Amino acid sequence: MSTSSPAPSTGDDLVISGIGVVTPWADTPVAAAAATGRPAEPGDWFDHRERLGRRGYKYLPTATQYFLAAAKHALADAGETRPGSDPEDEQRRGAVVGTNSAAVALHESMDHTVMAEGANALSPATAPYFSINLFGSRLATEHSFRAFNLTLTSPRVAGLEALETGARSIAAGRASWLLAGATEEALPAGHPGAAASERGAVALVMEPVAKVRERGTAGYGRCRVRSLFLPPEVAATPEGPDRVRERIAAVLAGQGIGPGQEHRVIAVLDDSPVSAAVAVAVGPRADLVTAGAGALEPLLQVAGALAGLSGPVVVVTAAREGNLAVALLTPLDDVV
Amino acid sequence: MDDVLITGMGVISHLGNGVDAFWQGLSAARSSPSKAADPFARMDLPLMYEVPEADVPAGPERYGDLVLGRGSRLAVEAARQAVADASLAYVAPDRVAVVIGTGMGDSGLHEEWRSGDGPPGDHWSPTFSIASAVGAWFGAEGTNSSVSNACAASGFGLSMAADLIRTGEADVVIAGGAEAYSRVALGCFNRLGAIDPERCRPFDLHRKGTLFGEGAGMMILESASHARARRAPQVYAKLSGIGWSCDAFHTTAPEPTGGQISRAMREALAEAGAGSDRVGCVIPHGTGTQLNDTVESQVLGEVLDGRRDQAPVYSLKALLGHTGGAAAALAAVAAAQILHRGTVPPNIAPDEQDPACKIHLPTEAAPLDGEFVLVNAYAFGGNNVSLVLEEATV
Repeated sequence: MSTSSPAPSTGDDLVISGIGVVTPWADTPVAAAAATGRPAEPGDWFDHRERLGRRGYKYLPTATQYFLAAAKHALADAGETRPGSDPEDEQRRGAVVGTNSAAVALHESMDHTVMAEGANALSPATAPYFSINLFGSRLATEHSFRAFNLTLTSPRVAGLEALETGARSIAAGRASWLLAGATEEALPAGHPGAAASERGAVALVMEPVAKVRERGTAGYGRCRVRSLFLPPEVAATPEGPDRVRERIAAVLAGQGIGPGQEHRVIAVLDDSPVSAAVAVAVGPRADLVTAGAGALEPLLQVAGALAGLSGPVVVVTAAREGNLAVALLTPLDDVV
Repeated sequence: MDDVLITGMGVISHLGNGVDAFWQGLSAARSSPSKAADPFARMDLPLMYEVPEADVPAGPERYGDLVLGRGSRLAVEAARQAVADASLAYVAPDRVAVVIGTGMGDSGLHEEWRSGDGPPGDHWSPTFSIASAVGAWFGAEGTNSSVSNACAASGFGLSMAADLIRTGEADVVIAGGAEAYSRVALGCFNRLGAIDPERCRPFDLHRKGTLFGEGAGMMILESASHARARRAPQVYAKLSGIGWSCDAFHTTAPEPTGGQISRAMREALAEAGAGSDRVGCVIPHGTGTQLNDTVESQVLGEVLDGRRDQAPVYSLKALLGHTGGAAAALAAVAAAQILHRGTVPPNIAPDEQDPACKIHLPTEAAPLDGEFVLVNAYAFGGNNVSLVLEEATV
């Protein structure tokens, strides 16, 4: 029985070639990742007619609209042209979206309708969206992504997991190109955690470096993710931080980053015992970012770091429930 | 690449608690829905195949700040059974992963809070924390994933679990699906006119939609080398083929030619090395919705045309209802039991089989003729997954 974590198999030639970000305060990755300039109440910040087009988007939930808009930016940023329909190519393109809170406000509104007026008063246009996977499915329909269209919902780490699971699925041969991201909408007022609500979306295009170089586009770098779990009761013990430190070190070692190798650390954390253990483990050198009520912030930090990447960056996040994820970003120069 | 074996199983459903109760229920081929026990369910057809109240675990209530809803409690109970069944002793925590498919997570808990006294704390409580609850219960420190592709969620989840073993990232994965009653989901399906007023009757000429069911199916997926090294007491089956595809066609309707579900089935069978003549049973997605059943039947006829007679189709949802994100996991538990016991249980007889669904639905139990069982699961958004389970020993 083995006791150490081997290196993840995520396809060493995969790089991020396109970034799309949509937030109430900025649509460029670096500005969107910055802690300053974020309004507490964004107001009416997103017009689907301007962002997506005048027809066909009105009845989509807002988190779906955000993700479509972010994907539009990311695809344009990747600089790829897809002339006409190519069934073989479509079957090699996959999409994965992570979300925790995209449906919460809609569900709450639907539930109040059912309790107060009955199910017949629900809107037939939005009724299918009780199913959270539909928030990311319009993307696949619009762009003919037929390899797969996954929706992940693990607390806080779902966006990073979208990259991890997508890369693993590419390595398993189910696709050769990926659009992965996260989308969130604010929790309803008065809902626990509403003050930490997230709004917006991030989309990243991941593909083999050879394809990027063929097109003569720049690309951003490599992003390898490994998700973990630390039972909250373990995190709360005096040994919790050591356990986290051990696990993060093992993940980084598996990805070629040894002890003492210079790298920046960004830690997206909440006020839970699990995050407290992570904060101690990563130490005072880490840039601490306050986590929101969803899976968006870790991916915003990944997008921001990739956009200005000059050396290795580690993005760590953790949730009260015990979920953890570690993303290692490395510049394109390191990709063979 | 290591084989992925199923070495333990746990299940809780409308048929009761435990694998024995499950198999007895399949063999008896009798079940019927009832009215959901929710006084706030204002809808025309509040029908469900619920887990009998006596079988719903009262706890655990919470792990730290994480409060467990009915979905999480069903999942932890099924996981507990699976771990015990596999006789899992010590495994390094970082070598154990958890992957759970669920369409609604613990939405029911949030609905209880909404119609009751509100949430117990003031911190954010994510809806999809069933996998976290299972991880906290077991102390599993590997990957912990919640996948929510609606009615195919646990099919994708089992695939992701297999990937973790095949890539060497885990030795053991506690994998499956869980779904519990959700007022929002049932209300929306009522609004969409997709609820059958009588029962879940896939492939029946008079079918009028589906009916939801509750349940959790959990499996211990284990690398063959790990199972051999610890002398696992039994192997139920090998997960030997996986096929994924996406229709990219419509929000709720399947693509009518079935091109992408055909691709998922063919890729899963090819990966397993399963000739169509050796498929001993199919557990279809078969929900009772009009177009889904017709398209799936047509594609099954094309994909399995190598058999000299028709492969028996075992219509599990006619007994359990449509268990949403747990459906594929419960189908995989049934498939592994069919392979292990060498018997295909009897179907509930349709009142009148739809002539457009030219599939073989035997109503008597029969010996399994073939080494493979094909499981299909499809979801809103055109998300398709097929799994092939194969006879196996340690």
